[in-house]
Amino acid sequence: MPGNIRSVSFAWMVLVYLLFCSRRASVGAAPICANAQAGCHVLSLANLFDRVIQHSARTHSISNDLHSEFEQYFLPSKNHIGRVSRNCHTSSILTPNGKDNAQRMAREELTEVILKLLVAWRDPLWHFHQNMAHHHDFNNFSSNKALEMSDMVHELRKGVEKVAEKMQVLGIISNTVSSLASPEASLPSDSAEWRLMKDYNLLSCFRRDSNKVQNYLKILKCRIVPEHGC
Amino acid sequence: CNSKSVVFLLIFSCPPAKPGLTSCRSPEKETFTCWWKPGSDGGLPTTHALYYRKESSETVYECPDYHTAGENSCFFNKNDTSIWVNYNITVVATNALGRAFSDPVEIDVVYIVKPNPPEKVTVTVMEDKGWPFLRVSWEPPHKADTRSGWITLIYELRVKLEEEIDWEMHLAGQQKMFNIFSLRSGGKYLVEVRCKPDHGFWSEWSSTSYIKVPDYFHREKSTWILITVFSTFTFLILMWLLHMNRHNLKHCILPPVPGPKIKGFDKQLLKNGKSNQIFSALVVPDFPPATSSNYEDFQVEYLEVYVRREQELVLEESKDLHNSCLKSESSTSDCDSGRGSCDSHTLLMAKCREAKEGERQTDRECSPMRTEAQRRLKDWEEEALNYAHAGIVSLEMSSGRVKTWPSVFSPLPRYSSSPLDQQSSLQMAKQLSLSTSSYLTQPGHSTKEALGQSYWDLCLSSKQPHLLNPPTPVCRELQAHSDVNISSIGHKRAPAGPRSPALHTTEYVEVQRVDNKDTLLLQPVVQGCGRMGGCFQMPHGEVYSKVKGVDSDNVLLLQREGMGEDRCPCVEQETNEVTGSCHKSCTVSTTQKPSGCIYTAVPVRDEMATMANGYVDTATMCTLHTC
Repeated sequence: MPGNIRSVSFAWMVLVYLLFCSRRASVGAAPICANAQAGCHVLSLANLFDRVIQHSARTHSISNDLHSEFEQYFLPSKNHIGRVSRNCHTSSILTPNGKDNAQRMAREELTEVILKLLVAWRDPLWHFHQNMAHHHDFNNFSSNKALEMSDMVHELRKGVEKVAEKMQVLGIISNTVSSLASPEASLPSDSAEWRLMKDYNLLSCFRRDSNKVQNYLKILKCRIVPEHGC
Repeated sequence: CNSKSVVFLLIFSCPPAKPGLTSCRSPEKETFTCWWKPGSDGGLPTTHALYYRKESSETVYECPDYHTAGENSCFFNKNDTSIWVNYNITVVATNALGRAFSDPVEIDVVYIVKPNPPEKVTVTVMEDKGWPFLRVSWEPPHKADTRSGWITLIYELRVKLEEEIDWEMHLAGQQKMFNIFSLRSGGKYLVEVRCKPDHGFWSEWSSTSYIKVPDYFHREKSTWILITVFSTFTFLILMWLLHMNRHNLKHCILPPVPGPKIKGFDKQLLKNGKSNQIFSALVVPDFPPATSSNYEDFQVEYLEVYVRREQELVLEESKDLHNSCLKSESSTSDCDSGRGSCDSHTLLMAKCREAKEGERQTDRECSPMRTEAQRRLKDWEEEALNYAHAGIVSLEMSSGRVKTWPSVFSPLPRYSSSPLDQQSSLQMAKQLSLSTSSYLTQPGHSTKEALGQSYWDLCLSSKQPHLLNPPTPVCRELQAHSDVNISSIGHKRAPAGPRSPALHTTEYVEVQRVDNKDTLLLQPVVQGCGRMGGCFQMPHGEVYSKVKGVDSDNVLLLQREGMGEDRCPCVEQETNEVTGSCHKSCTVSTTQKPSGCIYTAVPVRDEMATMANGYVDTATMCTLHTC
């Protein structure tokens, strides 16, 4: 009897593990192979770009929703004068503020900037989500959005890294792109009001940065693979 | 501060009112323009200035261009425009007396983009397998740089017919071309396009483009021709099918009207003929049909039984058993030939004439007694003729011809020798002209009222020699009228003969049927109120089938059949005022004529055999005593 139970449980665990693994593998869709390795599904650069751009558009859309929600519920005065200095932690990253500037920037730089931005926002968004969940400032819908936003940024970063990889493989850009360490986000304060302000600030900053990312990606795409939709 | 009046301009001048920034817009996300609305100027010339401050910088800059965008505007060119940077803009109005600051407005150029309308909108009519559609194509506004991916625009167009009110919206996405289907032939369409960046404002609608869709009716016409031809074929086939089945349809829709079911009725004559011809049309030559149908189908005849005064037994053969005898000759023979002969009105059959010969003898023999009756009969004949229905032989029978068949009462051998080939066809039940005349008995005899004495005139078409017995004192005369008119005729009969007291009572006995034994089955019928006296009630259900005999009083004795009761052929006795039931009259009559009662006891066979033929021997009748 015990032997039977043990074997059955072992078989059951194996089965569960296999299922789990297969599920994990399928989450990330088909593995993108930049080097056309065996068993990989090769995507074209244009296709990659499209995916990434769509992803960034989605991210920006969510951030926009959250921002307007926050503004509506927590700051009804619609006071556009930021009482708190809009000091995004990503302001240290040099980003082109105009079309000319963006077009003048090299592809590698542009790609780097995108990656920097995405990296910089990974942790703050995570913290933001945590704050929302714990302090019940937002409703569940917004909390889910925050979580989704965080995940998407994470995915977006991976995607852009893949694109950069592809471009490097294709020789479009040099190999100078490297994932730099993200600047440390300021830790949240204990004060509730401060926290509230920071949340609003954070959302504003991220809203802008997601727009930047999307725009930069589009510029890159139309510069590198201008055939579709440019 | 009221600065309306010029007079008080100097006195009542005020510092300017606060201006207000109305909007800031960027057409291509590279430049932008801000407009403000100045407040009251306070009566003094007021200047406005726009100052802005960029994000995270305390440097205040003034608007670089006040003129490009028009009045009360500030235009920021490319160099002064930074995207993803918050601008803090303030408008200041200044006059001699003071300043006024507008509320600061913070903008980010990314979110104030309102592009120009799409350009070069072209609409063309194209054809797809013969069906036209509109192809609308346009260009993005030339300022908006979509080539580099700096701006991503989505487009929207709207279409409507010239006479319509509502537009039909179509979202085209990022494409610069759109197809519109389902067009109205010959319609004039209006098309407009507009665009919008990812996050921004919709542009204004482009200028209207007009397009006229050519008529493609001819293409539709061919379809209509095809449909018409097809439907015509279908229609023709349907009509042909209907034509083939028109009879069935006719019966279905218009069921035939059932025609009259009068036997021998001539419908055509009824439709076409005049009124007097209609009645003649009702008389069918071969009516009643002498087929071997059931005797009971025939209309029941009424036998008018009346006792005639003359003690004459008159039997008329009123029917010719053969079909030919049924043909009636409407000729009215004279009285001489009437009595006892076949060729009376009632019968008028050719074959009966043969038997006439024998009859004549009897006629002559009984002639003295007959004249009277004949006269009466003549009257009846006339009356009968008035109601002449050629087809109804019964009327002929009811002519009142009195016939005597003396031979009927002759001994049996006489009759036995004579074949009665009509034995089978006593369907002449109809043609039995049995009439009874309630004549009194022979004058010679006792004036016993011959009440309740019935005479039967049976005129058969047999060839039997009918010998009229020597004139018996009592000659009864029986005539049966088989028609309703008989009653009227009977009514018209002179109730009182010159010789006899009015003892004309009419008994109507219904000839029920004649069975195959040539037995006349009679059934007394209530006549109703007769002309004479009260009503009498004849017992219904009486079946008098056989003539039993004739008693001395010249009473024809009928043998009732099938009934278990003793009934009497009661006759209304006028003088006795019998109004009671038969029994009563029986009792009454029994007093007078015990012989009037009939019992079902003894069928006199020999006589029955003869009498079954319908002949009653007067001699026998006169001499028999039965009861």
